[in-house]
Amino acid sequence: MSKAIIDIEHLVKRYEMGDEEVYALRDVSLTIGDNEYVAIMGPSGSGKSTLMNILGCLDTPTSGKYLFNGANVAEMDDDDLASIRNREIGFVFQTFNLLPRATSLKNVELPLVYAGVSAEERTRRASEALARVQLADRMSHKPNELSGGQRQRVAIARAIVTAPCIILADEPTGNLDTKTGQDIMSLFSDLWKAGNTVILVTHEEDVAQHARRIIRLRDGKIESDTQNHHA
Amino acid sequence: MNVFESILLALDAVRSQKLRSGLTLLSIGIGVFGIISATSIMGAFQLAVNGQLADLGENSLLIQRTPSINFGTNWAKMRRRKNITYQQAKEFRDRVSTTSLIAISNTAPGYIIKAGQESSNPDVSLIGIDDLYTVVNAVSISSGRSITEAEVNTSRPVAIIGQDIVTALFPNIDPIGQLITIKSQKFVVIGVLQPKGGVLGQSQDNRVLIPITVFNKYYTWEWDASVDIAVKALNKQMLPVTLDESTGIMRSLRSVKPWQENNFEIDTNDALTGQFSGFTTALLVVAWISGLGALVAAGIGIMNMMLVSVKERTREIGVRKALGARKRWIVRQFLIESIALCQLGGLTGMIGGIAISWGITMLLRSFNMPTITYVFPTGTVVFSVVICTLIGIGFGLYPAWRAANLDPIEALRYE
Ligand SMILES: Nc1ncnc2c1ncn2[C@@H]1O[C@H](COP(=O)(O)OP(=O)(O)O)[C@@H](O)[C@H]1O
Ligand SMILES: [Mg+2]
Repeated sequence: MSKAIIDIEHLVKRYEMGDEEVYALRDVSLTIGDNEYVAIMGPSGSGKSTLMNILGCLDTPTSGKYLFNGANVAEMDDDDLASIRNREIGFVFQTFNLLPRATSLKNVELPLVYAGVSAEERTRRASEALARVQLADRMSHKPNELSGGQRQRVAIARAIVTAPCIILADEPTGNLDTKTGQDIMSLFSDLWKAGNTVILVTHEEDVAQHARRIIRLRDGKIESDTQNHHA
Repeated sequence: MNVFESILLALDAVRSQKLRSGLTLLSIGIGVFGIISATSIMGAFQLAVNGQLADLGENSLLIQRTPSINFGTNWAKMRRRKNITYQQAKEFRDRVSTTSLIAISNTAPGYIIKAGQESSNPDVSLIGIDDLYTVVNAVSISSGRSITEAEVNTSRPVAIIGQDIVTALFPNIDPIGQLITIKSQKFVVIGVLQPKGGVLGQSQDNRVLIPITVFNKYYTWEWDASVDIAVKALNKQMLPVTLDESTGIMRSLRSVKPWQENNFEIDTNDALTGQFSGFTTALLVVAWISGLGALVAAGIGIMNMMLVSVKERTREIGVRKALGARKRWIVRQFLIESIALCQLGGLTGMIGGIAISWGITMLLRSFNMPTITYVFPTGTVVFSVVICTLIGIGFGLYPAWRAANLDPIEALRYE
C-alpha cells in the first residue's frame, strides 16, 4: 500500500436522541492509501453515510483520531475544513445535488469559484471536466434538461474539477436504473485508472464488485475488509 | 461570490414570492418616497421663499395680497382678496410718513429672453420695479445703472439683467447698451445685477428687472396684477412704528372695518423667516419620522423574506458548504441579496418620489407660487441609497448568519 491519505483510529460517533444513545460508529479503524478504489457496504443503518461524512470533513467524530494526509482534522477550524472540502475532496451524492437554476458549466465551476480561480480559468477547467465525463455538448443545459445519468455525470465533473485527492460517492447509483448505473460505475473505474482515489458507498453487490477493496460495516463496526479479486 | 449572481438570486426570490416581496418592496418604496418627496418639496419652497427673503433688506416689511406660504390658511379666502393695484400702492407710498424708502414691484415667472440668435432658459423671472427697488431691497447693480424715476414715469424700455442672462446672451461682449427681446418687446440693457449666487443651488441671478409701468402694460395680464410693496424703516427702533403706520394706511386704503382682519399680508423679514422655518421643520420632521418608520417596517419584511429564502435554499446551502464555501462567503451572498432587494424597493420609491414632488412643484408654480423651482434632491437620493444599504445589511445579517451556520449534513438531508 502506498502513502496513507486517510488514517482513522478508534473512531466513534454517538448521537443522543433524548435519553437514548445511538452509536452510528463504534471503534472504527481504517487506512486508505493513494489511488485505492474502495467500496463501503453494509445494511441500511450500519453507519456507512456517517463514516463518509466524517471522511469528507462534513462531520466530526465523537471520539477517535482522523488524520487526513497526515494532518489532524480535529485541530482544524471551520475555514480549514471548508478549504479541505474544496481542494482535496470531491463529493458525489445519491441525489446529484446540482443547483437547479445553473447550467452544467456553472455547476461545475462552483467549487472553483470558492477556490478563488479566475473566471476564464474556471470556464476552461470546467469545460475540460465536462469533456472527461463525455458531456462537452451539454455545457449550457440546466439540470432539468438532462437525464438522471447525465446529471450524475455533471456531479462527477464537479467533484473532479478541483483535482482532489479523493472522490467520495454516497450511493451514486441509488437513483439510477441498472444500465445507467453501470455507465456511471465504469466512469469511476476510469477515474481510478487515471490515478484518482475513489471511495464509494453502496448496498448493491454488483456495484461494489467494481471496486478493488470492499469494507463491510454492520452496526457501526467493520465486519470485514477484503481485497476484491473479481474486478 | 459574484455580485451579479446574487442580484439575479434576489430577483428570483422576488419572483417566487410575488405578494410578500411586492409588499415588502412597496413599504421600502413608501419610506424612500416619503423622505424624498418631502425633502424635495420643502427644498423647492425654501428656495422660493428664500428668494424673496434674500431680497428683502434689513429692517424691512413686505406687503403682499397673499402670504408666501399658503398652507394652513384659507385658500378660498385668499383668492377673494382684492389685488393690491399699482395705483393703491402709489397712494400708500405717498401717505407713509415715517420712511420714504418704499419700493413697488411685481414678479412674473417663466420668460425667455432673446438677443440676436441667442436665447436664455425659459425660466427667467421678470420683475417690474420702480426707482427705489434697488435701494430698499438687498439687490445691487454691479455695472451700468439702475432705473430712474423718469424712466418709470415715462415707461422707458430699459432693463437690468442678472448674471445668468449675461452668461447666456452676452458671454463675450459688454451687455450695457445691447438690445434684448422679451415677448416681442425690445429693451435696452442699462445695468447688470451684482451676482448673488445660488441659495441651495438655485440661481438668484436668473432675472430681468424692467420699469413696473412697462411691466404693467405688457406682462401683468399673464400673471397676477397684484403688486408687492417693500418698506424699509429708518432703523431697527423705527421698524415697529413703521409697521403700525403701514398697517393702518393699508387698512384704510382697502376699506377694512375696525372689527375685520387684514385683507392683505404684512410681515417683517424676521417674522417671514420664522413662520417659514417653523412650518418646513414641522413638515420635514413628520415626513422623516413616517418615512423612517416605513423603512423599519420594511426592514422587518426583508428579514422575513430572507429567512424564507434561506429555508427554501437549505439544501443549496448544504451543497455549497460541501463544495467548500466558507461561512463568510455564504454570509456575503445573502447580504448582497438582501441589499439588492432593498435597493430595488428604494428605486421604485425614489422614482415615485421624484415624479410626485416634481408634479407638485409644477402645480404650485402654476397656481400661486411663481418663483418656485424644482430642485433635484441629489443629497436625498444618495441618502436613500445609503439607508437602503444599511437596512439590507442590518436586517439581512441575521438570516445570512443563520444560513452560514447551518449544519451541512442536516442541510443536505433537507427536503
Ligand atoms: N443526525 C442523527 N441523529 C440521530 N441518529 C442518527 C443521525 N444520523 C444518523 N443516525 C443514526 O446512525 C445510524 C447510522 O446511520 P447512517 O450512517 O445514515 O447509516 P447508513 O448510511 O449506513 O444507512 C442509524 O441508526 C441512524 O439512525
Ligand atoms: Mg446512507
